[in-house]
Amino acid sequence: MDLFLQLLFTGIGIGAVYALVALGFVLIFRATNVVNFAQGEFSMVAAYLMVYFAVDLGWPYWLSFLLALAGMALLGVIFNLGVYYPLRHRSYLPVIIATIGASILLANSVLAIYGPQPQVLPGWFETPGIQLGPVYLDSQYLLIIGVTILLVIFNFWFFEKTLLGKKLQATSQDKEMASLLGISVSTMIMITFIYSAVLGGLAGLLVAPVLFVSIQMGSTIALKAFAATIIGGFGDVTGAIIGGLALGVIETFGAAYISVPYKDGFAFLVLIAFLIFRPQGIFGERVAEKA
Amino acid sequence: MKLTRRDFAAGIVAGIAAPHIISSARAQGATLKIGMCAPVTGPAAESGGYAVKGAKLALEAVNKAGGILGKQGELIVEDDQTTNPGIVLAFSKLAANAEIVGFLGSIRSTQVHAMAPDVIKLGKPVMIGGTDPNLTHMGNKWLFRFRPNDSYSGRVIAEYGVSTLGKKKWAVLHSTDAFGTAGGKALTAALEKLGAPPVLDQGYANQSQDFTPVVLAIKQSGADILGSYFTFENDLGIFARQLRQLGVNIPWVGSPSIVNITALKLAGPALYNTYGVADYAEDSSEGSKAFGKLYRDAVKVAPDNQSSWTYDAITVLSAAINKAGSTDPDKIRDAILAIKKFPGAEGEYNFDQNGDGLHGYNIVKNDKGNITFDKHIEFND
Repeated sequence: MDLFLQLLFTGIGIGAVYALVALGFVLIFRATNVVNFAQGEFSMVAAYLMVYFAVDLGWPYWLSFLLALAGMALLGVIFNLGVYYPLRHRSYLPVIIATIGASILLANSVLAIYGPQPQVLPGWFETPGIQLGPVYLDSQYLLIIGVTILLVIFNFWFFEKTLLGKKLQATSQDKEMASLLGISVSTMIMITFIYSAVLGGLAGLLVAPVLFVSIQMGSTIALKAFAATIIGGFGDVTGAIIGGLALGVIETFGAAYISVPYKDGFAFLVLIAFLIFRPQGIFGERVAEKA
Repeated sequence: MKLTRRDFAAGIVAGIAAPHIISSARAQGATLKIGMCAPVTGPAAESGGYAVKGAKLALEAVNKAGGILGKQGELIVEDDQTTNPGIVLAFSKLAANAEIVGFLGSIRSTQVHAMAPDVIKLGKPVMIGGTDPNLTHMGNKWLFRFRPNDSYSGRVIAEYGVSTLGKKKWAVLHSTDAFGTAGGKALTAALEKLGAPPVLDQGYANQSQDFTPVVLAIKQSGADILGSYFTFENDLGIFARQLRQLGVNIPWVGSPSIVNITALKLAGPALYNTYGVADYAEDSSEGSKAFGKLYRDAVKVAPDNQSSWTYDAITVLSAAINKAGSTDPDKIRDAILAIKKFPGAEGEYNFDQNGDGLHGYNIVKNDKGNITFDKHIEFND
């Protein structure tokens, strides 16, 4: 039972990270109908910004955190104007390729500045964790789980209860109709990119003290987050959260009870199973139903 | 005599070209050239810089002592881009220069494998730092190794844990890549030979974000000592932290990455009191100490094996050419293989007929973040 509880906590913790990045995938997909393959690099860039402010410059942690998120908001604007906006009238393929190009550019830019060596980022808490009976709770994972729960609540409130959230939803559902109703589609898409960049950045900032800050950190998480998005149902916010958590738990238990080297394999086996038997994911609609 | 336009033009060309031709002719043969493939760019650019500095320091010392065959040694560096195609290209550029008499290859076994066919075709001596045992056992007589190969690291880890620390219930943890699998196998084989087969043999995939299942498996196995082969420092850092957080405090003897500067930075106190095998340990011999002082004074950073093996490679190659009294590749080869009890930065060189110069490892301890030399274990077989 002790082993089970320890694995469950770790699985939910790592799954929450996937969920945060998956959320960014979903939001951009809903608004633009394309997958942003630079979503993982948003996490990496934010972590390096945090290293710059908090470690290199020695600024207070909370200030560095806010500045890193502000930097991500700015990156969201630049990304929208530089990568999506010029190609917005083209099919989805050029946009996807442009996001892949942007992800390579971001990774290599950071590599040129910081070099290949991983960096250390201290966590929010002095205490690394607490022992609760037989289970050790890592304080950073506790924070990640807490932030994920808060974001679920915030997303529900934002998208369902605020005018801006409803405008964003309207834009994602039907751009032409939204435009006819007086909603500025380009502004809504800009806001979506900003929010997604901040979400991706937030995931990076939370996970960096656990996984260290490295050039590869974004792509490693993004791959799993992408799988989580498909499992949850591409385009569904709740699905991204559930998919991320499920993936984290499945791979952790799979590694513990079946095989450690094939840990990543379990995640992708589940993905393949979903693609075969339920391609729309847990919460996704069939394309026919959506039409 | 009438000066035609053609004569005038020919005269101008000759006038411009003559000084270059003369200086070029004078330059040819003025120095004795050694080629070096090094990662100037790419993921290993930082360590590549250390490798080049180690080689240059050695050549400065050689030149001060009279040079090679009475000439000043000159190092020509080509960027291998930290890739296999990169090193093949870099080596082919260097190989095209007939004046180069010997080469330095890579510390990465995979890159040495990539360039090995061209080395055989060229037929000139190449010094290497890659530790895959096969490199000097696959019929390529032009490769000479300046680090102990991996067959020794497993034996040293096992010998130290069983004989010195007195532990017999081993958990062996290794990456599932080529390096980790070979290392894990070597350690397991050595433990079986010592009558202490591992109670847990656990592989893991590189770039794992979480090692909780691994740590819990070690805990449940009842192991009283851990031996490890980690490829990437970030994996090692995450594992070390989780190992301590989940209350596993058994002795730990790891492959060289456990005492790598990056690993120490990432894992911090989680690696305190662990042991590692290291080919370069500053306090292990007078030669190591002398190199350490020279390197610190010149480069202002702590020396490690990235620079020590290239330092030794240049020193040994130069000594061999001087001893051979010729730049004939076969004579240089014979002179290298004849080298015995040569004190280098990495240890004492005793070349065997395969081209392996070193036959043991140092055991070092992480004493609150400081790496201290414990003992050297040498094998004569």
